[in-house]
Amino acid sequence: MQNWIDTILNSEKRMALPFMTHPGIESIGKCVRDAVTDGEVHYRAIKAVSEQFETTACTVIMDLTVEAEAFGAKIKLPENEVPTVLGRLVADAPSIEALNVPGLDKGRVPAYLLASKLAAENIKDKPIFSGCIGPYSLAGRLYDMSEIMVAIYIEPESIQLLLSKCTEFLIKYCKALKATGTQGVIVAEPAAGLLSGDDCMTYSSIYVKQIVDAVQDESFTVILHNCGNTGQCTDAMLASGANALHFGNAIDMEHVLKQCPNDVVIMGNLNPVGVFKQGSVDSVKLETKHLLQKTAGYKNFVISSGCDLPPFVPEANIRAFLETVEKYNFQ
Amino acid sequence: MNQELLQKLSECVEFGKINLASPYPPQMKGLPGADEITKEALEAGVTPTEILNDALITAMNKVGQKFSENKIFVPQMLLSAKAMGASMIHLKPYFANGSVKRKGVFILGTVFGDLHDIGKNLFGMMVEGAGWEVIDLGIDVKTDKFVDAIQQNPTAVVGISALLTTTMIHMKPVIDAIKIAVPQTKIIVGGAPLSAEFALSIGADAYGKNPQEGIQWLDSLAS
Repeated sequence: MQNWIDTILNSEKRMALPFMTHPGIESIGKCVRDAVTDGEVHYRAIKAVSEQFETTACTVIMDLTVEAEAFGAKIKLPENEVPTVLGRLVADAPSIEALNVPGLDKGRVPAYLLASKLAAENIKDKPIFSGCIGPYSLAGRLYDMSEIMVAIYIEPESIQLLLSKCTEFLIKYCKALKATGTQGVIVAEPAAGLLSGDDCMTYSSIYVKQIVDAVQDESFTVILHNCGNTGQCTDAMLASGANALHFGNAIDMEHVLKQCPNDVVIMGNLNPVGVFKQGSVDSVKLETKHLLQKTAGYKNFVISSGCDLPPFVPEANIRAFLETVEKYNFQ
Repeated sequence: MNQELLQKLSECVEFGKINLASPYPPQMKGLPGADEITKEALEAGVTPTEILNDALITAMNKVGQKFSENKIFVPQMLLSAKAMGASMIHLKPYFANGSVKRKGVFILGTVFGDLHDIGKNLFGMMVEGAGWEVIDLGIDVKTDKFVDAIQQNPTAVVGISALLTTTMIHMKPVIDAIKIAVPQTKIIVGGAPLSAEFALSIGADAYGKNPQEGIQWLDSLAS
């Protein structure tokens, strides 16, 4: 398959890639808990999405608890929501020092590797993107998200040690995801969007870059997702070296596109809740058209949802989005 | 002297200097923080009301304003809130004996089914810094717990938070139950997936798009 980045940059058409697996889970009659615990169900959900919708590529579930669970964090597995981390695993310098970097046989990591492997083996007509959490967001899951925001100033050395351990694991995990045959990985780093640009650089991008350097090449793309960024983190995201950056709905895409070089693929950013889930077919069409028109001059833009689509988005809204993109391309 | 202490305390809160031991902010390293200066101010005869109104609320207003203008971000805001908390510890006895009046009581919680708390915590600390008494019910708060809290504090304002699309739908039954228990209760909702339209549709009185807007609405109720 041709390098995905080149495909985008050389295309005359506007590509569409909403991050979604929940419609697939729903269409095969399973619940979220089934998909996040069973690699085969997860794969079948991805396959269902690929067959139902004409998107540029397929993505795995954005489940930001897999890696924390592998480290030993307790999680809650609701029936129809993505899991949540319970409590904190580390709280101070001694517990961070004692924290072991887990192997890839822990928790649900094998199930997620299986989902990527089956998708790569069986879906041949479009690229598959695996997924993982970003280093700062993972560290926040382990340390407590509110507490880490303060600790980067009070105990910076301890947090940097924690980030190093998180990154070591994520590099190992991303190499294994790459070995499954997928075309890239979406590194989801939403918590870094709550930081200033300088802090995003120091506590996120430097570590994301280590992941990028370890796995990104002609055949494997890193898409760095940061839906918390309201504009202050864009330079730091660029500094990660990821070939593609994915933005949330809190940012002005036109401004981002002006700011970023044209050889970096820029993705975003229709509101997954306000537009896709709660909007009507007409409002989805209107918002999609508006974003397409605003970004018309940029070949490096891929229209997407601002984050993973939540469960139970009306299928008609997804179709309205894709049809609007198709109509735009036809014109 | 008193004005100087109030000014120093205000700066500690504005810039997040919690106590002497805290290394943040670097330019105030080794200097006393909100903890020590509050103690010193009380010993020097500054009244708790002056500390609350002329230092803490003033500083947190500036913090909220800077946050809404993207001049500071969540970590800086949390550090300011922690510095304010370090000061508030010394004022608790005066709140308890009624010698310092606050603007009102604010009951806060994340709706049941939802375990996320960073937005709730941040808003709760900012509201406390704005001069309100905050009763934080925590995360995954069942309807009964909200109702019990409002029945015990019938003049309180309620804040309900949700981060998930699957849990934001739980807000309406909570609001309905609160309004049945104490009909005049004012309720504000907030959280990433919410919108002003959604807040209106579930019967909330306000939508907290950001902390500053939420506090302005709360203060409008107190005035």
